[in-house]
Amino acid sequence: MSIFDGFKFRSESSPIHEMDPRAKFIYVCILFSSAIIFNNIIPLLILFLIQMPIVFLAKVQREWLRSMKASALFATLIFAMNFISLYFYAGHETLCSITERSAAMTIRFLVLIQTFSIFFLTTSPDMLGLALEQSGIPYEICFAFTTAVRFVPVLAEEAQTIIDAQRARGLELESGNIIKRIRNYIPILIPLIVNAIRRSMELAETMESRAWGAVKNRTNLYALRIKGRDILLIVSSLIILIISVYTSIYIRVPSITQMMHC
Amino acid sequence: MGLAIIEAKDLTYTYPTGDRPAFKDVNLKIDDGEFIIITGPSGCGKTTLCRCFNGLIPHFYGGRLEGEIRVCGLDVKENPIHMIARHVGMVFQNPENQLFALSVEKDVAFGLENLGVPREEIRRRVDWALKITGVYDLRHRAPHELSGGQQQRVAIASVLAMNPEVIVLDEPTSFIDPLGAEQIFQVINSLNRDLGITIILVEHRLDLISKYADRMIVMNEGRIILNGDPREVLTSEEARLIGVGIPKATLLYKALKAKGINLNGPPLSSDEAYKLIAEAMSK
Repeated sequence: MSIFDGFKFRSESSPIHEMDPRAKFIYVCILFSSAIIFNNIIPLLILFLIQMPIVFLAKVQREWLRSMKASALFATLIFAMNFISLYFYAGHETLCSITERSAAMTIRFLVLIQTFSIFFLTTSPDMLGLALEQSGIPYEICFAFTTAVRFVPVLAEEAQTIIDAQRARGLELESGNIIKRIRNYIPILIPLIVNAIRRSMELAETMESRAWGAVKNRTNLYALRIKGRDILLIVSSLIILIISVYTSIYIRVPSITQMMHC
Repeated sequence: MGLAIIEAKDLTYTYPTGDRPAFKDVNLKIDDGEFIIITGPSGCGKTTLCRCFNGLIPHFYGGRLEGEIRVCGLDVKENPIHMIARHVGMVFQNPENQLFALSVEKDVAFGLENLGVPREEIRRRVDWALKITGVYDLRHRAPHELSGGQQQRVAIASVLAMNPEVIVLDEPTSFIDPLGAEQIFQVINSLNRDLGITIILVEHRLDLISKYADRMIVMNEGRIILNGDPREVLTSEEARLIGVGIPKATLLYKALKAKGINLNGPPLSSDEAYKLIAEAMSK
């Protein structure tokens, strides 16, 4: 299982999938900043939990769970680092409050991962490219982006074929020290790069044959339009932002430790 | 036959890296609505010749192109590729490297988007092209999820959507299984028969496709050796010596003829052979 599986887009029809990527991007930015504003566990937990309905609405709970599992190791690391540094440097804090503060940092990390994974799980790279295009980024760059995404699985497959072929000729990948191991990959990389160059020549030929660059203002099969539900998402994100900023300035959120007088 | 849609006079081309011409003194006239098969051993210059039909040679490859070539009334040397691409669609050998979008319909729309066609018109023509090539149901799939045959039909749809007068296909079935190849040939035939599109097909698998062709051109070592009716070309001694993949039905005809059994004209497919043999036996 790779950590990227929790971010890999899968085509699915859900209200979240059909939303405008730009609206979702605003949502991601706001959730990010809100998570950064707080270092208290209660608001961070709330940020984590209010995203759960979105996960279920988008029907990506399986992939979400995978991204959570994949980040478990890193989350543990963050918890341990915080705990150790607070224990040695925070002075007169109780063990409970150290635990709580470390947990808060871990949850902050999980909120970031969760937001990111919702965005990438529900936004097709095509839509992402389109959003880039409609935000005024030159078409060549957007095209390079979507084409790169398109060829990731193809190149991965090709790399596997080359690895198999070189192994069949007796190439050992997992032996020797770190320098040796890196050098082992040269016989894999060279054919892979040569093939990629050849492939790109063929692609260029095809693009030319389909009138690439014929007119200045090219049109697009799809158009992004902000719909009612996108506005709803943007407005609710903004409300979250306002509440977060207001709370962090005017309200002192108590920690669980304080509430329990531990 | 109609007007000449492609006309080449004394055409000679040398690649920038080549020391001798890839083809030499090619004279060729292709009429509107013809179905042409070009065949010949690997390296005989047939792919290079095809690249001249839409301007990839000389504009993309460079090199030295001598002689004259006009396609759909346009001088290939004078017009940029995107001008010629409106008239000539090109389908290449490897289906994987012809599709670069993340969904099938986006790929088919690519050419039209480049031409700045309005959105409603793109939608209409994309759906039309997908239906003709029989891949309409796959329109939301990612190209890399499809089989080779399906990918190649998407590639055909994507040039068809641009409404070309000529479609050039350079060994479109060499990466495809027999059933997929058969389906591709049927699509190609219907483009020619129903839509009147001029087809130029480079192909080795002559068993399945010869019966549809109006004319067959055999190239060898950069020259056109044979150019004529497929039945005459395939029964000729030169075709056998060059190593053209002569259909088995035609070989059977020749073998029977050598034994003194004469069928009524050379067949190009097993169906035709069956009819001729049945006819001969009932006499």
